[in-house]
Amino acid sequence: MQPTNATGVPDFLERMRETLPEGRVPAKIFNDPNVYALERERVFSRAWAFLAHESEIPHPGDYVLRWITDNSVIVIRDEHGQIHAHLNRCTHRGNQVCKAEMGNASHFRCSYHGWTFKNTGELMGVPYYREVYKESLNRSEWGLRAVRVETYAGLVFGTLDPDAETLQEYLGGFQFYLDFFLKPGPGGTEVYGPPERWIADADWKICAENFGGDGYHTPVTHQFGFHLGFYPSSGTTHFMGYAVHMPGRGHTIGIGHTPGLPPFSGFPQEVVDGMHATLSPEQIAVFKDARMAVGTVFPNLSFLTQPFSLTPKQTGVKFCTMRLWHPRGPGQIEMFSWCLVPKDAPQSVKDELYRVYNLAFGPAGTFEQDDFENWTNLSRQNGGSTAADFDLAYFQGLDWEPLQDFPGPGHAFTPYVTEIGFRNLWGTWLNYMLTPVGQQVDRSRVPPAFHPVDAKGQP
Amino acid sequence: MEGSRQPGTPPAVGHTYVPIPIRMSIEDFLYYEAGVLDDQAYEAWLELFTEDMRYEVPVRVTRERNAEWDVSPTARIIHDSKDMLRVRISRLKTEYAWAEDPPSRTRHFLSNVQVLPGENDGEYQVRYNLLIYRSRGELPRYDLLSGKRRDVLRETPDGWRIASREVILDQSVLAVHNLSFFL
Repeated sequence: MQPTNATGVPDFLERMRETLPEGRVPAKIFNDPNVYALERERVFSRAWAFLAHESEIPHPGDYVLRWITDNSVIVIRDEHGQIHAHLNRCTHRGNQVCKAEMGNASHFRCSYHGWTFKNTGELMGVPYYREVYKESLNRSEWGLRAVRVETYAGLVFGTLDPDAETLQEYLGGFQFYLDFFLKPGPGGTEVYGPPERWIADADWKICAENFGGDGYHTPVTHQFGFHLGFYPSSGTTHFMGYAVHMPGRGHTIGIGHTPGLPPFSGFPQEVVDGMHATLSPEQIAVFKDARMAVGTVFPNLSFLTQPFSLTPKQTGVKFCTMRLWHPRGPGQIEMFSWCLVPKDAPQSVKDELYRVYNLAFGPAGTFEQDDFENWTNLSRQNGGSTAADFDLAYFQGLDWEPLQDFPGPGHAFTPYVTEIGFRNLWGTWLNYMLTPVGQQVDRSRVPPAFHPVDAKGQP
Repeated sequence: MEGSRQPGTPPAVGHTYVPIPIRMSIEDFLYYEAGVLDDQAYEAWLELFTEDMRYEVPVRVTRERNAEWDVSPTARIIHDSKDMLRVRISRLKTEYAWAEDPPSRTRHFLSNVQVLPGENDGEYQVRYNLLIYRSRGELPRYDLLSGKRRDVLRETPDGWRIASREVILDQSVLAVHNLSFFL
């Protein structure tokens, strides 16, 4: 499908501002050309978009090609070790200057007329410069267009909005939870290898939501795992744990607990030691009893740590996958799936973690196969003509009270299975969608994700 | 397996002669095996592998022509032992393999078969092209994947068995929503 231009805000989005706090979401948001066009214009033009993991470009000149919606972005480390991101578009005629998805380059030479750019983006070479341009071309004005870049714990993010708040502000305390995935030791994480990439007719949002902590789907979608004896939890304890979200920011995480498991079970001893060295006492209090954790950074970057093994009825090891749900067009996603491994761990541990990840995730993964069966079918159904007037049920936890003594930031609830974080995720998304370009996205306008009933029974 | 740039590693011209009857017998086996797979007789299919088999589908990456590798030396889409293949097949037999219920319809086409002597007695390296068509549900769209297989076949008292299989796909970004079928 071809991207289309936004032709205005669909009625069902205006209506959603009223219905979302009541637990109703229009089905049409999960597959609509106009929604995609608005997302491109109003969400991905302003949010911090995940680009790469620093370990993908460890050496000077190393680069990877990534996307911010339909803009190809070169993410590259310069000779001084600094990371830059540039639009992959020659400033002369717009030709693609970089065509490989990864590599090493000191410069990029456009194959059309030969304009040449340093890996820092500066225009350094123009054929027939004196003869053709005389004095009229100021090379310093015609470098590759820079994308603003900031990093957190090895993650490289970029934004197309020069006025965007800092990445630290944008993450807004969610770093507390990201550290569980990103700080398994003093050395942090690295990617095991290049990502697996594939394309599916699925809306990116359903994937981002699922990895925002959809513990509800696991015993059904992934029942095979319980059935064959892969899990340390059973269907009766599976829902236990915490759901946390950052109000007004969309970031959300589910933390599953299984009673009776030893602290940090399933992690290699090196990682247990590493976590004690890098995580705060509050972080350790939240995560030491976590069977698994799964979270989404708004809009489309997710992490999952869970135990799995190569054969059933074994003690699982906990791997970590990082995934980018890249919106490739209306109702279409391009998947990037990585396995993150602890940088300090021995190679044999990294190999084992990757192998386990591989059996579970990626296009052939035994979990991922079934997720994509659901997500493609769901996206197709929600592209139907009746979907605009069809509200989906998002009622779970509408009147729940947040925990008062939870050691981490944000609003935390128990148990883990609830839809509170999803209402915050889609409220945050809706707020971007309803705020025209040029106006400040006002986080106080994000609809409430829950409204507990007070002692008098009044909401 | 070491990462490699596939176009740079053709078999040597005038390679060691493998007798025609052996070659024909190997081709017969591979066609039979493809049929078993397309008929979804997975238990019978599993029997066609040796116990020490490995089955790998490496990640393909778009690189510049002079890059060291374009088949990742580390990243895999599938990296299975026989036990892991057994897990995938027992999964398909549960009522919860949603990705394959109703089942996809696949057709494996094999061509350009080259048979070379193996590293061990009674083993042969077989390199050939693979085209897989997959139809799912009532959708008019279909998946088409091309690639090449590099197998090691071993002669056993029960006939040929697959000791290793490597499938190198041609797309770096796969145009499939999942790989719930076998390559």
